[in-house]
This record gives sequence, C-alpha cells and structure tokens, in this order.
Amino acid sequence: MKIAMPLALISGFSLALSGACFADGFKDCTKLEKSKWKPASEAEAKASAAGYGVRRSKVEGTCYEVYGVKEGKLFELFYSPEDLTLKHTIKK
Amino acid sequence: MSTEDDHSRSHIYVWDLPLRIVHWSLAASIVVAWLSAVVFDSLHRQAGYIAIALVAFRIIWGFAGSDSARFSRLTFLLPNAIRFLRRLMRGRTGGYVGLNPAGAVMLVASLSLTLISGVSGWMQITVRFFGVAWVQVLHTWSSYALLALAGLHILGVAMVSIMQRQNLVVAMFTGKKKRRHPGHTYRSGKTSGTYRDAARQNN
Repeated sequence: MKIAMPLALISGFSLALSGACFADGFKDCTKLEKSKWKPASEAEAKASAAGYGVRRSKVEGTCYEVYGVKEGKLFELFYSPEDLTLKHTIKK
Repeated sequence: MSTEDDHSRSHIYVWDLPLRIVHWSLAASIVVAWLSAVVFDSLHRQAGYIAIALVAFRIIWGFAGSDSARFSRLTFLLPNAIRFLRRLMRGRTGGYVGLNPAGAVMLVASLSLTLISGVSGWMQITVRFFGVAWVQVLHTWSSYALLALAGLHILGVAMVSIMQRQNLVVAMFTGKKKRRHPGHTYRSGKTSGTYRDAARQNN
C-alpha cells in the first residue's frame, strides 16, 4: 500500500512532537508534600492584591494556577503552594 | 476512441475543487492546532480561527456546492450508516460514488466537533469566558474526540481503498474516482438509490 509508509511516518513524527509539547507546560513549583500546602484561597488573594481580577484557580502540577484579568488582558499566574511566590506568568 | 474518452469511461469526477481545498486545509489546520497546543499559543490560535472559517465555508458549500458536496444527500446517507457498516464487514462497499453512509456520519461529526473545539478555544481567550472550567473541559475533550475521529477516518479510508482497489487519498487530490463498473450505464428507475445518485453525477 503506497499510503502506508507516509502515514506511518506522519503519525510517528506527530506523536513524538506532541509528546514533547505536553511536557512543556509550566507545572513545577514546589517539592513540598501536598498536605503542607497553603490554601489556594491565599494564592487567589495574592493575585487580587496585585491588581488582578481573579476568575478561578486550580492545581496545575505542583502549582496553583490563578486565572487573572488586568486591564482587559488575560493572565495565567503560577504560584508556589509552599510560600506563595509567583513562579511564572503567562499572558494569553 | 481517444484516451480522454477512455479516461472518462474509467473515472468519474466526484470531489469539486473547493471541497478538496477545504478538506486538505482543514486537515492541515487541525494537525497544526494539535501540535501547537500548549506550546505555540499564537500558532494554535491562528490554526483554530482558520479551522472555524473553513467549517463555515464548508457549511455554505453544503448548500451551494456540487452534488457530492451537498448536505441534501445526508438525509439519504445517514440513516443507512449502520446497515452500511454491517455490509462493509462482509466485504461489500456498496455503489456509492461520493460519500458512503459512514463517511457522511464522519462529515457531520467532524464538522461539528471542529466547530465546538474551535469556538470553545476562542471563548477561552475572551474576558467573559477566561478560566471558566466548562469551557476548558469542552475544548479539551472536543479536541481529543476530533483527533480520535480523524484517526478513524484515516483507517476507514485505508480500508475502503484496499477493498475497492483504488487510492481514495489520491482521489481527494484529483477529484476523480475509478468507476467501479466501467461501461455501466447508470440508469434511474429500478436500480438502487446509489445508482440514481451516480446518474446525477454522470450528467
């Protein structure tokens, strides 16, 4: 079958590339065990204090990811649950 | 007899040019959106916007395009999907010139999922829906479902290509499929609906 080879190549290449992609999201903030984490509400409060309108927060890997809106712009803020330091900011 | 006559005797023009362009552009934009997800945000967005636009055009083409592009065929094809798949398992691909009933289901499902995935992705970066959980969940799962469907589509096309001894991937580039019954004069009347469809396309 003529199409089998290119198909195999494309799907193999795609899988490899997508694997690399998924490994790239920001998700490492702390090594502290989860039972000792500060509450997510404190991360949200910190974002609010920094002038962000907080939409929601969730756990992403070992980070608190806070969805914040500031002056009509969208931000994803990654806080360490250990000490609530801001580890990473993504502007959407 | 000229070779051109030979060719038109052995082949039938099925997929019009806009349909083929939309098909391959949509495939490309979905692959790009898939690979750029999470890492290349702006590329991911561009691919999504293009996909939405292509689906919009495809919907218009479903009313304005040539016979094999038209949605009016779906009312005949969709109800036959289960029966078609059962026959397929027994090695019969039927006399369908354009989409077969399984292909019709694939068309409806993939256009819908592309639209759901595209629009929910776009919603995620609006101030109104930013960070809203159900929008994220919808985008994630409609996208995965679309990829699964694309895999199934490729398998289905490969399967029917083997069974019909013709390369349907090439047909989606050239627009022409091999006639399954060379020299057969498609008549309306007592023959099945698929042949009637064929007759319409022959004219």
